[in-house]
Amino acid sequence: MRTAPLASSPAPVRSGGTPRISCRGVSSGYLGKRVLEEISFDIEEPAVYVVLGPNGAGKTTLFRTLAGILRPYRGEVLIGGETVDLQGSRDHLHYLSHMDGIPDGLNVREALRFYARVQGAGAEDVERVLSLLDIGSMADRYLSQLSAGQRKRVSIARVFLREREIYLLDEPTANLDPKLSREIRELILNLSREKVVLYSSHNLFEAREIGRYVIAIKAGRLALFDRIENLRGEHFVIGVRVLDPGTPPALADFARQGDYYLRELPGPEAVPALLHELDAQGVRIREVREMNNPLEDLFA
Amino acid sequence: MASAPLPSLLGTTIRRAFIVGRVNLVIATVVSLLWGTILSLTPGSSFASLFPLLLPILGTIGTVGAMLVFTNDRAKGVFEYLIAYGVPPHRIFTNVLGAAFTMIAVVDGLTLAVALSLRVALGLAIPIAFTAAILGYSLPMSFGGSALTAAAGMFWTSLSSPRQGMNSPLGLLPLLGVAPGGLGFILAEAAGPADQAYVEVGAVSIVIVLALVLLSLESRLMPRERLLSPA
Repeated sequence: MRTAPLASSPAPVRSGGTPRISCRGVSSGYLGKRVLEEISFDIEEPAVYVVLGPNGAGKTTLFRTLAGILRPYRGEVLIGGETVDLQGSRDHLHYLSHMDGIPDGLNVREALRFYARVQGAGAEDVERVLSLLDIGSMADRYLSQLSAGQRKRVSIARVFLREREIYLLDEPTANLDPKLSREIRELILNLSREKVVLYSSHNLFEAREIGRYVIAIKAGRLALFDRIENLRGEHFVIGVRVLDPGTPPALADFARQGDYYLRELPGPEAVPALLHELDAQGVRIREVREMNNPLEDLFA
Repeated sequence: MASAPLPSLLGTTIRRAFIVGRVNLVIATVVSLLWGTILSLTPGSSFASLFPLLLPILGTIGTVGAMLVFTNDRAKGVFEYLIAYGVPPHRIFTNVLGAAFTMIAVVDGLTLAVALSLRVALGLAIPIAFTAAILGYSLPMSFGGSALTAAAGMFWTSLSSPRQGMNSPLGLLPLLGVAPGGLGFILAEAAGPADQAYVEVGAVSIVIVLALVLLSLESRLMPRERLLSPA
């Protein structure tokens, strides 16, 4: 797949085969008010496509339009070469909203069975995802009794009930602790070996860690569609913020910038090993972020 | 890949409405049973005249669970999820309506069964006027009022940011929910025995017409965008 350069009105990205997702001049919004304007791109290659943009840029609207929830005012969305419609899109894609989307009055197993019925999955799929997401121990608890992280885990479990070609994940790791975020990212990375995953996030470190492509939306328009590696700077520096006061011995030789302990690494792929090492040395990590991430410019 | 048929989800919606609204359902049923018992044992004509007027009011209060399911599902993004997987907004709407009707049927059915059994057990007659008022007023007012409340509540909620309170169908219930039954009660009592039947039929007719008008405007008043949680 070729990629479009940064442009105010980017041309559609095209390739030789039938794109899995094709957005052709899509304008979309709510009750006649346009949020997206003339969005065009094609996606064919299985990978994680990180959708970035400031709040209100139109990321959620893009996901909703691709999922067939919103009908474009202009242009069209093709999934597997077919126009998206309410009945058809559910066979090709999974959609995870930024809201939990968990119904009241059901326990975890019942909620997943509810989702399974909607997706045409079976009870055995429910048991499989209970195990996959490590939520079997809470299967009989009501959703109102779960913490925010546990609810998010249940919410994410929905997209593993049945296999689909395309996964639209709107901020799947928002408000999760670093450990769970890492687990979710690993699941998504595994998924992206064969599937197209569109993934929105405000976490730029996360975006660089798992994304192969970036789709930047600014003021409702496509500002950038490119390989993330094309955006990377020469130096990859992460900052680690810790829970405990004082400098832990394991971080003694790290440079400091404010509350962050800095370490230059070869690339994002080296981050998990470093975190594992710090964890083994008893460092309690509050936050990890990439310092001077070139993706930050997309939020400017 | 062939599409699997979409499940109706009506049964799940009804079950969830009962779980979420169980407190209101129990209160409405108990109060209704209490009134039914008291009026059944009261000499005179109050059983035939008063009991049918109270039944729709209490029945509507019992439907809070259905309204809660609608409000919460919209706020929490459940509708968005269902629409993404091909569930038409119309089905979401009718499922909530179906849950409200089921809850009304439980309150009215239980109350009538107990009240009538009590009178039969005590050897008291069941007046013709009572049967006529139940069939001509209580049941149509219960279901018509419930449909009106549910439809108006859903439209009202969908016009505003999801939240609890006055912008939810639950917030509307004290005003709109009990209004049809409450107004019917007041007007019928004010009219006196001679004209009570006419007032009841008139009130029921107005409520049913209003409910039908609102239901027929469903797709116009509640497009899919209005079922989404805030972006």
